[in-house]
Amino acid sequence: MKSEKVNLIEKSKKSYRVARPKQTGFSSPATHYTEPRIDLNDALIENPSATFYVRVSDDSFSEFDIFEKDVLIIDKSLTPKNNQLAVITQEGAFQIIKIKSDSKEEIQLWGVITYIIKSTL
Amino acid sequence: MIALVDCNSFYASCEQVFRPDLEGKPVVVLSNNDGCVIAANKEAKALAHIPMFQPVFKIKQILAENNVTCFSSNYTLYADLSQRVMDTLREFSPLVEEYSIDESFVDLSHYNPSEWHAIAHKIKDTVHKNTGIPVGVGVAKTKSLSKMANKFAKKVAANNGVYVVDSEEKRKFLLESARVKDIWGIGRKHTIRVENTGAKTALDFANTEVAWVRKELTVVGERLWRELNNLPCLEMVHLPKAKKGIGTAKSFGRKLTDYGLIVEATSFYVAEVADLLRQQDSAAGCIEVFLQTNSFSNSDNQYSNKIIITLDTPTNSTIKLTKEALIGLKKIYKPGYRYKKVGVNLFHLIPENEVQMSLFHEEHKSESAALTKVMDALNSKFGKNKVKLATVGNREKEWALVKEHRSPRFTTQWDELLTIGKKIL
Repeated sequence: MKSEKVNLIEKSKKSYRVARPKQTGFSSPATHYTEPRIDLNDALIENPSATFYVRVSDDSFSEFDIFEKDVLIIDKSLTPKNNQLAVITQEGAFQIIKIKSDSKEEIQLWGVITYIIKSTL
Repeated sequence: MIALVDCNSFYASCEQVFRPDLEGKPVVVLSNNDGCVIAANKEAKALAHIPMFQPVFKIKQILAENNVTCFSSNYTLYADLSQRVMDTLREFSPLVEEYSIDESFVDLSHYNPSEWHAIAHKIKDTVHKNTGIPVGVGVAKTKSLSKMANKFAKKVAANNGVYVVDSEEKRKFLLESARVKDIWGIGRKHTIRVENTGAKTALDFANTEVAWVRKELTVVGERLWRELNNLPCLEMVHLPKAKKGIGTAKSFGRKLTDYGLIVEATSFYVAEVADLLRQQDSAAGCIEVFLQTNSFSNSDNQYSNKIIITLDTPTNSTIKLTKEALIGLKKIYKPGYRYKKVGVNLFHLIPENEVQMSLFHEEHKSESAALTKVMDALNSKFGKNKVKLATVGNREKEWALVKEHRSPRFTTQWDELLTIGKKIL
C-alpha cells in the first residue's frame, strides 16, 4: 500500500460522498456539490507529526491570557519569532514564555504555541 | 546511497520527551506485566550493573539505590512517536523502509554526493526537533554498511551521531573498527568459521577471497561480503510485507484458576488478532490456542498445552475464530492449576480475496462479514472494544496486565494530555 504513494502526489483521503439511502426517486440537486465538512485539523495543524497538545492545569500563565483547562496546540517544528509564545523546559519543568529576540538568555525550547483552545462556557 | 536512521534508546527517549525532569537521569522501561527491563537510556546503561532482560524482582534494589525511574511499557505512545519519526523522514525521501519500530532505511540516491553529509545532519536535527526523539544516522552505499555506519556514528562521540561512508578510506576505517561478530546479520557459527582463518576485523572478512566465502558461508555469507564491499545486494523494501502469522500471548495480571476468566481473556486476544488480520486484508486457515502455568515457580504444579485447529475455510471473522478458539481451549484446559498465560496464534494466512470455499461449506459469510464490518466501524468511531462479543465479558481488570508505572498516552487520548502549570493535575 505504502509504495504506491511513492512519487505520487497524495490525494485527499477524505470521502466526498454523502451517505444516502439507496432509494429511487429524484436525486438531490446538490449531488455534485457536496464537500466534506470543515475540519479543524486543516486550519490549525500545519505539521501533524510535530504537533502536540498540552492542557493547562492552573492560572499560573494568566499574564499570557492562558488559563486553567485551556488546551495549547504546540508545533515543535517551528523556530519561534519575537513575541511568540513558546513552551520551554527550565530546571526540569515546563514553562511558558514570550520570546524576546533581543534576549541574551539561553532557553531550552520544547515547542512554539500556535493556538490556544478555550472553552467559553 | 542509503541512510539508516536509528532512534537512541527509543522507548526511554519517548518517555523523556514528556519528562524534562528526567534529563540526564537513568530511565528504564519494563516489559508487559512489569516483568523485566526491556529498554534503558544511556545513563541507565552506564550503571553497568543493570542487566538487560533481567526479571525486575531480582534487580529492584539496584534500581532503587540508583534512583532509576521505571516505566511500564506504553506501546500506544511508542507507536505514535515512531509514526511521527517515520513521517518526518518522508520529508527527506519518497522511499522510506520502516525496518522496525525505531529504525528506518531512507533512500538518499536523489541527493548529490556533496550534499550527503549535510542531509544526514539535517535528518538528525529535524527528527530531534520535531519529535523530541534523538537519532543516529549512518549513510553508505549498501544497507549492511549503513547499519554499521550507524553503530559507529553512535559509538564514537566525535562523529556527533552521523557517519557517512562516502570514500574508500572511510569504508575501510569503519570496517577496521568493527570485529567480525559485529557485522550486521552474521551468525555465531559463521563468525567462528571466519575467525578461524585469522580474520579479526570486518575489513579482514571483506578482503577474504569471495570463492572461500561462497564455499564456506554459502550465498548468505557472500551477500554480506558483497554488501561490505560496496556492492548492494539488499534492496529497499517499500511494501510492508503482509505477516505470515499473527499472534498474541500475554501473562495474566495474577494467576488464574477460574475457567470463565480464561475464556474471557482468550476471547479478548482472538478479537485483537482478528482485527489485525482484517487490517491487512488476510484470512487465517489455522488457529492455535495455548495455555500455561508459571514455569519459573517452584511451588506451583506445572501444566501447559496447546492445540492447533484447522478451519474448514480460512476466515477473519472474530465470531468464527472465537468459536473455534474456545472449542480448542475447552479441550486443553485442566482444572486445578494456576494459569499464568494464554495465547492465540493465527497461521496459514492468505489474502482475503483468495479464500476458497470448501465443498461442504455452508455459506454464512455475508452475514458474519457484515456484522464484523459494523463492529469494526463502531469500534473505530467510539474506541477500542466498545462493541465486543459477550464471551469477552467485562472483567478485564481481573486478568489484565499489571502496568503500574505506565505513563499517560499523551498523544492519543484527550484525557491523558501532558499538563503544564505550577500544580500537577
